Amino acid sequence: MKIVCLIKFIPDVEDFKYDHERNVLIREKMNQILNPEDAVAVAFALNVKKYYPSTTIELVSMGPQSIIPKLEELLRLDLDQATLITDLAFVGSDTYATSRIIAHYLTKHKFDLILTGTHTLDGDTSHVPAQIAQWLGLPHLSNVNSIHMNSIDLGRLELSVDHDQEIMSFAVSTPAVLSLQKEAPYKLPYVRFEDLNKDVSERLKMLSLKDFDLKREDVGFEGSKTKVIKTYAQTLNRQTKIEVTTDEAGIQTVYDYLKDKGFLK
Amino acid sequence: MKKILIYCDTKPEDLSLVGAVELMVDEEVSLTAIGYKEHCPSGNSVYDEILLIDDQKVMPYDTMNLCDLITENHKENKYDIILFPSTQLGRILAPRVAIALHVGLVADVTDLHLNHGIIEMIRPAYSGKLLAHIEALGTGPLMMSVRPGVFQPKAVQLKSTNIRELHGYQPKPSQIILLQTRLKPSTEDIRDSKILISGGGGVLEHFDHLEELATLLNAQVSASRRVVDSGLVSRRIQVGQSGKTVSPKLYIALGISGSVQHIEGLKNVETIIAVNTNKNAPICSLATLVVEGDAVDFIDKLSTKIKKNSLNFKEETQ
Repeated sequence: MKIVCLIKFIPDVEDFKYDHERNVLIREKMNQILNPEDAVAVAFALNVKKYYPSTTIELVSMGPQSIIPKLEELLRLDLDQATLITDLAFVGSDTYATSRIIAHYLTKHKFDLILTGTHTLDGDTSHVPAQIAQWLGLPHLSNVNSIHMNSIDLGRLELSVDHDQEIMSFAVSTPAVLSLQKEAPYKLPYVRFEDLNKDVSERLKMLSLKDFDLKREDVGFEGSKTKVIKTYAQTLNRQTKIEVTTDEAGIQTVYDYLKDKGFLK
Repeated sequence: MKKILIYCDTKPEDLSLVGAVELMVDEEVSLTAIGYKEHCPSGNSVYDEILLIDDQKVMPYDTMNLCDLITENHKENKYDIILFPSTQLGRILAPRVAIALHVGLVADVTDLHLNHGIIEMIRPAYSGKLLAHIEALGTGPLMMSVRPGVFQPKAVQLKSTNIRELHGYQPKPSQIILLQTRLKPSTEDIRDSKILISGGGGVLEHFDHLEELATLLNAQVSASRRVVDSGLVSRRIQVGQSGKTVSPKLYIALGISGSVQHIEGLKNVETIIAVNTNKNAPICSLATLVVEGDAVDFIDKLSTKIKKNSLNFKEETQ
């Protein structure tokens, strides 16, 4: 079985730095981390490989070359290949353009399963996995919290999805796109001590626009269907405080407040 | 006249997406709802038309076929705006439809501005630390997913709604088969809760009263260290530095004074309602709404009011 893990390195949200005067995110000062739910996807792929040693795992990521050391760290686990899609021309791609670029790469390759995370902590649109599934004509499920290892070589996967108050079990034919959630019980292992400085550069492939069957106007800002007009930091000032007592008027105020904010239907 | 398509995936009475339309369009609209029966109004409503999807033909988890169905419907009707609620299904269905129609998509919109004829969609990013204003490019339709419950229509005008089943559609065989559905055990993690009803020293032996209010608000119960230490409840539901950091949209603190450790666990809470006999207790400085008084008295009065009003609502609609 060949598994592709779609992963994204994101600025560490906990380490959020914002220039309030210039109204920009200070990206260069932010630590880049592997999106936590994508890490769950890679961890599950590694589990499959442990169970079925003939499994191959390829990481596919789009981003700047500055994430190469992070990809190499992952390659020092038992992963076969990492593909970094990187080009200044891709900067500014919205989810439409991004999914198009990644899907273009994937159409040229054979795989049985695409694994990724349900949410990213930065943009948190959850668009790209579903969009890639649509470009490729594949089934897709999100919020997957476990995949039954025994079903892997049956040509259809059995898995569980966390859906509000329910857990739903599905059988999905492969190839498929599955978005895992952080509650899934898969954790990335540590790199073995003797592999800490292992040279893995041979297993890292870099692709730029010229490697794609796409034009300059298909990617980046030009290839996008949405445009960010402006961003600004959310002010964390609490709203003006309302003070009441437990008399009828006070209870009514609380009731109206809950209703108004949509907490009560 | 603008033609709007709204995918319904919440309660039939949820009109928040209609509320979003009001903010975007200042001319007459024709509203079409599409969805499964249990999510759509069953009689006259704000919609001009309701298209019901046959759940025997296309299952709600089969986003490939749902996408085809919506895309075909759009090709026939040429909508100007297509809205999805950002529910679990909405969030994976909308991106598929956007690709099928080759249009942009904005996720999880929480605010909308009409700025010189341009619709600005506003959404949080970076775990809510940033807000982004986004505009759609190209010829449309305009597509977005909208966080349910954020918008409410100002004026609700009932129309004679044309409700019809979607016929003449041949879905492809589904590649996803449902094997089993089971309810989650009620021991849910308080970190996943949208609403937390939390009790402290001020409610101690009356802690069971919290359950009733929690059920009415579809919320979960949590507790301060004081209650946990007294042995009344499990540490699993403790909020605070030694317990859990929670990020619900609403946190109702009942008889909790708010030690530094407890407040540390509330950093990501959107709205806090604090009920305390001392309105100067530390937790009250974080709260949007402070109720001065006995927490048990508050719980009972508010529960009674909610029950009474929901009963009235049912009678009115019957």
